[in-house]
Amino acid sequence: MKKTKLMIKQVIMICLIVCGVTTLSGQNIVQGNVTSSDGQPIPGVNILVKGTTQGAATDFDGNYAISASPDDILVFSFVGYKTQEQVVGDRQTINVVLQEDATSLSEVVVIGYGTAKRSDLTGALTSVSSKDFDKQPLNNVSQALQGRAAGVQVTQNSGAPGSGFKIRIRGANSITGGNEPLYVIDGQFADINTINVNDIQSMEVLKDASSTAIYGTRGANGVILITTKSGRSGKPKFNVNVFTGISNVTQKLDLLSAAEFAEGVNFSEGSEVFSAQEIADLRANGGEDWQKRLFQTAYFNNVQLSASGGNDNTDYYISGNYYETGGTIVDHQRFKRLNLRSNLNIKLSEKIKAGLNFNVGQDKTTGERADLGVGLAWDPTTPAFDENGDYNFASNLATSDTNPLVAAENNVLVNTRDRISINGNFNWDILDNLVFNTSGGITKRDIHNNRYQPLISLPGGRADVDNIYGTNLYNTNRLTYTPNIGENHSLKIDAIHEIVIDKSNGAYITATDFFTDLVTYKDVSAANVQTVANDESNRELESFLGRVNYALLDKYLFTASFRADGSSVFQKEKWGYFPSASIAWKASEEEFLKAVDAINNLKLRVSYGEVGNQGVKVFDTRSKGTLGLGVDYPFNGIYTRGVAPSILLANPDLTWEKTKQINAGFDLGLFNSAINLSFDYYKKNTTDLLLFVPLASFYGPEGYFDNAGEVENNGFEVTLDTRILQNEDWNIKSTLSISANKSKVLALNDDLQSQSYGSQIRESTFPVSPSVVQVGQPISSFRGYVFEGVYQLGEEAEAAIYGKVPGQAKYKDINGDGIISTDDITIIGNGSPDYTWGWNWDISFKNWNLNFLMTGSHGNDIYNLQRARLMALGAKQFHAVYGDYRNRWTPTNPSDIPSGRDGTEILSSQFVEDGSYVTMKNIALSYNVDKNFLNKLGLDGIRLYASVENLFILTKYSGFDPEATASVSNQDTDTGIDYNSYPLNRSFTFGINVNF
Amino acid sequence: MKHLIKILFLFGPMMCLNISCSTLEEDTSSLLQVGVISTEADIKANIAPIYRSVLNTNNDPHYLRCATYGADDITTWVAGNKAPLRVFDRFDYGSGENSDINWLNVAWDNYWNTIYVCNTLIEGLKTSTAPENLVKLADGEARVFRAHAYLNLVKIYGNVPILLDGYLPTGDEQRATVVENYKQIESDLLIAENSLPAPGTEDTGRVSAGFAKTVLADLYLTWAGWPVKDQSKYSLAATKAKEIIDYGYYTLLPLDQLWTFDGAMSKETIFSVRVPSDESKWVNQATAFTFHQGRGFSDCFPELRFFYDFPEGPRKDYTFLLDIPNRGVKDGAMFDKTPATIPWQDSDRAHPMYRKYVYSENLTVFIRPVNFRPVELYRYAEVLLIYAEAQARLGENSSSIEALNEVKRRAAGLPYNVANGTVDVASATPNEIVDEKGWELAAENKRWFDLVRTERVAEMAAKRDPSEPVTLVRMPTEAQYIAPIPAQSINNSKLLQNPEGFKIN
Repeated sequence: MKKTKLMIKQVIMICLIVCGVTTLSGQNIVQGNVTSSDGQPIPGVNILVKGTTQGAATDFDGNYAISASPDDILVFSFVGYKTQEQVVGDRQTINVVLQEDATSLSEVVVIGYGTAKRSDLTGALTSVSSKDFDKQPLNNVSQALQGRAAGVQVTQNSGAPGSGFKIRIRGANSITGGNEPLYVIDGQFADINTINVNDIQSMEVLKDASSTAIYGTRGANGVILITTKSGRSGKPKFNVNVFTGISNVTQKLDLLSAAEFAEGVNFSEGSEVFSAQEIADLRANGGEDWQKRLFQTAYFNNVQLSASGGNDNTDYYISGNYYETGGTIVDHQRFKRLNLRSNLNIKLSEKIKAGLNFNVGQDKTTGERADLGVGLAWDPTTPAFDENGDYNFASNLATSDTNPLVAAENNVLVNTRDRISINGNFNWDILDNLVFNTSGGITKRDIHNNRYQPLISLPGGRADVDNIYGTNLYNTNRLTYTPNIGENHSLKIDAIHEIVIDKSNGAYITATDFFTDLVTYKDVSAANVQTVANDESNRELESFLGRVNYALLDKYLFTASFRADGSSVFQKEKWGYFPSASIAWKASEEEFLKAVDAINNLKLRVSYGEVGNQGVKVFDTRSKGTLGLGVDYPFNGIYTRGVAPSILLANPDLTWEKTKQINAGFDLGLFNSAINLSFDYYKKNTTDLLLFVPLASFYGPEGYFDNAGEVENNGFEVTLDTRILQNEDWNIKSTLSISANKSKVLALNDDLQSQSYGSQIRESTFPVSPSVVQVGQPISSFRGYVFEGVYQLGEEAEAAIYGKVPGQAKYKDINGDGIISTDDITIIGNGSPDYTWGWNWDISFKNWNLNFLMTGSHGNDIYNLQRARLMALGAKQFHAVYGDYRNRWTPTNPSDIPSGRDGTEILSSQFVEDGSYVTMKNIALSYNVDKNFLNKLGLDGIRLYASVENLFILTKYSGFDPEATASVSNQDTDTGIDYNSYPLNRSFTFGINVNF
Repeated sequence: MKHLIKILFLFGPMMCLNISCSTLEEDTSSLLQVGVISTEADIKANIAPIYRSVLNTNNDPHYLRCATYGADDITTWVAGNKAPLRVFDRFDYGSGENSDINWLNVAWDNYWNTIYVCNTLIEGLKTSTAPENLVKLADGEARVFRAHAYLNLVKIYGNVPILLDGYLPTGDEQRATVVENYKQIESDLLIAENSLPAPGTEDTGRVSAGFAKTVLADLYLTWAGWPVKDQSKYSLAATKAKEIIDYGYYTLLPLDQLWTFDGAMSKETIFSVRVPSDESKWVNQATAFTFHQGRGFSDCFPELRFFYDFPEGPRKDYTFLLDIPNRGVKDGAMFDKTPATIPWQDSDRAHPMYRKYVYSENLTVFIRPVNFRPVELYRYAEVLLIYAEAQARLGENSSSIEALNEVKRRAAGLPYNVANGTVDVASATPNEIVDEKGWELAAENKRWFDLVRTERVAEMAAKRDPSEPVTLVRMPTEAQYIAPIPAQSINNSKLLQNPEGFKIN
């Protein structure tokens, strides 16, 4: 709780004016302590004797002293809290508890290239403050965002330690151009994974085009601005936060027992592979439970230390974080993250301020996890180990893959990501109304991926060593002019120039045919064959921006911006121009609404803007010769280097993708902001998509990038903040956010009606992609045959038309031509939800706090191709291991589960399921140790807490979980496909947070 | 004002830096331009990917042959992941269905990739400044592989669009007719046979005119059969095959040498693709043709009827493996289980295996049997049999009978070029020669095309052994003679799927 308070204070310190001295005589000295409703002292509270200029302020422990006479009334005020008055009377000690003022209208929020008062915003912006999430133990930014910001869909796409997540703001615009939002950390463009979530002060999500147009070619997917914590003047404050916990997968799948599997093999082969005796023995012994082998309990620890403080001219925030976790899928894997941050602000003179932020970190992943897809699919009749305790390497009954434990327990993998980022800013008030601000920074990121597959795992062994170095440089110069144009008008003009340079180079070594395992990847000279590849890329973006904010009578707000972006990745049309405009009307400032007590805030907003996306890679517009081992040929036993024609066709005319967005919304505050409601409706049309056009394979090149097609997204967002109860003992708040988005492809290149995009699973498993992009449908549509059950006895004649017999799958003959061909493939599902929601409750009672977040997703389908594989479909599986196979069709069991070997399609509606869910994402209970007790120890605060992540998931989905396992890749065209993904975990965490 | 000056000093250089950095041009110096061919080294670098593409095509026989499982010389595992192979083994196609199955696209994609690489080289050579003789040679190599790729595409999928050097995709491509395809293939080969060196004089690993003539003979033989049935092409086939025989260069190896590593680079080899001698890459013949019991993939093994009908003799012994290897894997290496072999009747697939593809297998570099033996596209025995058959259709003569007898003598383990009354025949019908070719080239990806060309697919299907686990969906007709065009190409172009898009003339 102390931590929460600290953050609030930090925000407030920005506007804090420390008051003067009290110089009165003949009066009593009144003293006391000012705390917030959760018992934390509030420093800097103004105490004024009403009707006078006599005042005082609380110190860092919330204590004050002031001279006052018994008739005086003391006024306690502090930004962000409700002002309170106390009659002195004969009291000498007056302790005050200030109630939070839920209207955060005066709060200053970060916007693109600057800050603004929340009440002055004209666009659609959602803030997530650290106080929204700091009661829950987090190790990842996605956890802080998930369910807390309307319009932001966060999907954890794997339960693997340190793994990624997918963030989409208002749906996906682009089919192949990338839909990742732009992340800006303290003004510096950055990778979201580089930030320590515990250093975050606040996050602002810019959603509508008027907010994001200022980011031009990079703004189309929305922008997330992250502000890290800073210190405030006063004595040093230390914070120690330690938590530890355990994780397990949320649930297991229903797989066949060894005996059931053996019976299935006999059935499928039509011969007695297992004798009756063998089956009886398996029934008695049980065989191998691979899920038991593969899943384990993981332990994690997190330590966060921070120190902050400062004086009138300097403030600092220093933090260190160490997070370590194991994985829930077998052994030998650890993920460690180290992070060090130092934020420093210096006031060089009355007019000049400078700041320097420094962030260093390392992520380290060790150990290779078992291939879960193989592991689940493995033969349950073959134990993992033989009677001597050695591996049973192979079984050819379920899959021909090697025992999944071999790689997991023997392969060596060490991946590190080092990063250093430094950014500085310099702010100069040239004149009273003219400010010059320049900032610049460098981010360096080194990626080292090392892997060694020892001889036991792969004959000859193999080492892979990748070293990739990236550098990002940026410089932004801003001039802000705020001329005084009269009492009723306010005007602010920003002019900005910016340049961003990204460079990277990498070297990739592969070594095979080792004579020893001893040196692993560390000395590839031990290998007989070594190959090296490298690459280099460089991209530049230069921009000129302008923005005008105008307010009339502080009621009518107008913002217009314009950005010109030049990008090096395009050849001819380098420059793009992105205008935006928005207006807002503070209706609650009008006389006719001022009279309505219930309404304390009503603001109507409308905006329009155009933004862009330059999401192609360096050289994507060019064709180039293909080099590498894959095109070399050994005429005389030794490779001759080859050069093959380009995989990509050139398109020198390629230019940015454009998104036009309109947004209309309102913010309503009722009963002194006890209820705050925000509503936004938007419609986005993305044209000139950066569309990768795959060519029919007979052409040779795989395809090219083109500006073609159109995608529309529209939807609405609701955020409802309510303060349900607030008094000395109780404080109950809830925030509900609901997002609904509908996406629709309006056109593709030329007159094409549908297009398949490669997914990472496609290559090895499916001849055609399970997903399709089709005009009139959402981007993430599933394609397949319509499954209509199984041909039953008595349906022989109908079955014969399609060359089938009873027991085989029945598919809908859509065009009625008497054959089941690709013409009968249709859209059978959609991976995108109709709407998602998050509901956060924060309940404090005295020293206790209960904070929980529920999230939900509705209307999304999941293509459960994992189940299809386990039912023995696809190129990898020989025999079924999935529980459904018990109920396979036989003449005496007329079920709807096909049992024929042939003619069962993996891509069919048989494997499409409803993926809707409701989950208790996180629930945390914390206790603040009593202040009086702490004072004796000389501590400011101790909070003890326990939390559970993913306590329950309510869903009909039959896979591990409907969130992570339905995210086979980050591509939006693959949304909702479950294939060999790492399931979510249920984690129990215990922690302590100490302030002193 | 003083401040302003200081500020300018502070930030002025940064601004200048900005301006000088921001050319906004990509540095393309790391990109290699395609089609710039000025030296011998350039030529070799541009030829290498052609051969590599041919190697890739032949790397995995089960993928390459997916659409040819209707032949009577191969079948596959009744269960497991072989559904795509069974589609063709069972004739579960022919009206456009099953165009979207796994593996069907592999041959299609690989042959078209070869054509793309060849087209690029042929186009680049037009403006090449390299010596004329080298340009001519490279042009011939590109043309012979382009022709070979087109011929295989037409054999498997029917008529295909013709995309040649300098062609840019329009999206409006249509399938040419079979005859147009044949004519284009012929024109390339007629150039190539004159550009390429005589057999024995080519550089190591490269093609000779013998290969061009063999593909040409194969083309003519195909042309004379289904679907065009232009009987006049038999004489061209015979003439071309006779030219190859008349080189006097090629021989038949003794059986015990034929399936060795060297046997694939011998004077019986018309052309074979190779893997590097450092064993960093191998091909998967042995894996595909070995049962799971022997650490293979059980993709491909003989149909029982074909095995039973195969004439006894040394050739049968070298063709089939009756004792199925029984292997395990441990600590990254294979080992023989006890017993080391299992009679084929008791093996996990209850069929014999093809011995020719495991004869020179390597059991030590990987945990599955693999091959470093080059993969032959044509052997001299095939040339002899093309000649024998084509001439038999025109009217057999002593040299065509001699060609047939040479194959038969070697099959009997006898010197091939010494007449032998116990083996030699005085006359043979075309079908007898085709069957001899089926046995000689069993599982070498030839039988299916011979059955289609001679319209004998149904005849063989009718003889299928009733105990064969993979059962037929239907008796094959002409509709099953060509495979569906893979769905990816149908979806992304205006090509018409079979049978609507199948046009002969």
